Amino acid sequence: MKNPRVELKTVYGEVLVELGADNPDIFVVEADLMKASGSKPFLENYPDRHINVGVAEQNLVGIAAGIAAAGGIPFACTMANFMAKRACDQVAMSVAYNMFNVKLVGCYAGLTQEKNGGTHISFMDIGVMRSMPGMTVLVPGDSEEFRQAVRAASVFQGPVYIRMPKLLQGSLPGKTYEFEIGPCYQYGNGNDLTVIATGLATDIALDSLQVLEEAGIAARVLHVPTIKPLDTESVIRCARETRACITIEDHATVGGLGGLIAETLTAACPVPLARIGMQDAFGLTADLEFQLEHFGITASHVAAEAIRLLDGRGQNE
Amino acid sequence: MQESVIQAAKDIRIKTFKAIHNAGGGHFGGSLSVSEILAVLYFSVMRIDPSNPKDPDRDRFIISKGHGGPALYTALALRGYFPYEDVLAGLDKPLSNFPKHVDRLKQEGIEASTGPLGQGLSIGCGMAIRFLQQKKQNRVYVLSGDGECNSGQVWEAAMTAAKYQLNNLILIIDQNNMQIDGPCDDIMPIQPLDAKFRAFGWMVRTVDGHNAEEIESVIREIQELQVDDARPAAIVAKTIKGHGISFMENRPEWHSGKITNDEYEQGIRELEGTQ
Repeated sequence: MKNPRVELKTVYGEVLVELGADNPDIFVVEADLMKASGSKPFLENYPDRHINVGVAEQNLVGIAAGIAAAGGIPFACTMANFMAKRACDQVAMSVAYNMFNVKLVGCYAGLTQEKNGGTHISFMDIGVMRSMPGMTVLVPGDSEEFRQAVRAASVFQGPVYIRMPKLLQGSLPGKTYEFEIGPCYQYGNGNDLTVIATGLATDIALDSLQVLEEAGIAARVLHVPTIKPLDTESVIRCARETRACITIEDHATVGGLGGLIAETLTAACPVPLARIGMQDAFGLTADLEFQLEHFGITASHVAAEAIRLLDGRGQNE
Repeated sequence: MQESVIQAAKDIRIKTFKAIHNAGGGHFGGSLSVSEILAVLYFSVMRIDPSNPKDPDRDRFIISKGHGGPALYTALALRGYFPYEDVLAGLDKPLSNFPKHVDRLKQEGIEASTGPLGQGLSIGCGMAIRFLQQKKQNRVYVLSGDGECNSGQVWEAAMTAAKYQLNNLILIIDQNNMQIDGPCDDIMPIQPLDAKFRAFGWMVRTVDGHNAEEIESVIREIQELQVDDARPAAIVAKTIKGHGISFMENRPEWHSGKITNDEYEQGIRELEGTQ
């Protein structure tokens, strides 16, 4: 039985309050989206360290840069779509170029914007953020991992972007690790196919293992919660140990995990590769399940692509 | 006002002019309009220690108009952060520690890397917020251009500074009335800057930006007022782009450019007052 999806705003508020209690340098910076991010409990506990700049994403990032320049550890949050696009130059120049110790959190990320639709759905935040020199990019796969990612970012020295969907699984099934910045995590050890997944798509990738098994394909899932710096060793090892790879994400494959893995494997270990995600398209005004189905971010699509890549045959067949 | 500050302003201007020419050209106009402002900050009002550039109690200065970098390098050099000869040899050279737009990772004394306009005031506000929260005495100074105030982020930051009562922040606007494509009045009228900042909740003063004594006395007056007045302060400094060089003054084409050796010699003679 699957764990239900939980709202990350609750987790974000909780973990910020815990961090704020332990460390007087922790700041929260908001741009009139405290209700989306869930940082209000921090405001109630530490009002002198909670800054709200109103609807001003560029200033949000600049203020956070200045707080970091003076020794604070700011968590600046706005919707992922706005962080990556409206404040793109401020993230690049005021934060990354300066190497200020700012933590950027993109909330309501990816398709979890649901009915806010195409104007709000972030399909390029991973691509934008991973193209910033010096930026660490974290895309957690469940709510516990998100909590651990926020904690890890708070003690990491340097700029970090954390992708924060509105909803994530409470805990991925069969998890045996504690999140750290850096490693990929492997589920299963089938030798036909590696499904490389990030964010909420990891849960879907794990669902696909059963469908693939029924199709006679022995697969594994490589979960990539740290997009940058990528654990290239694990990616290349899995590519070598299997006959094909499929990436899956709720983001554009251009610039996203699909692009990243294509870049990595083309250079080091070319294997048949399919990339599942948003294909040169804006998001829709629709609920999450509808959008996942629409963009083919589903276990059955993974299986179909696997059969195509492997010419219909797993080695177990 | 100590004579040494006025002399420092003159030295900054001459050596900035020399360094830009030596680099093969650059942003003469906006670097020559800020000499007195930098001299007052670095030789009078700022609490800094060049021998301890990371002193946590130091005041912070952000040159938001990052193309004024040559003038800031020169001021820092004359103040003792590094030898002026390094600036002269390094400005704009490949892999140099003196890129024309300042880079905090390359040089002590640079508090924030800037270049794309409009971002410095937000960073300054963030610093000021942090110092107030810590109840520390550090002051934050930001230097922006008037053309730079076209940028919406400046006004986002202006609202934030007023909301958070940043009375440890002073913004100085180098109002030389010129931007890259022409006079501000033609490209994007920005006046009245003083009334705009006042309407945003700031304390505002206007000074002759080439009168070091006046700049200093206004900064000291603001600092006294800010003890009880919880407003950020803006100083509109009326300056002349390309100040001191007759063929550059008030001509927007000298935002950035090259000069001949003859023009350089003429400029030096004018700046030294020997012509």
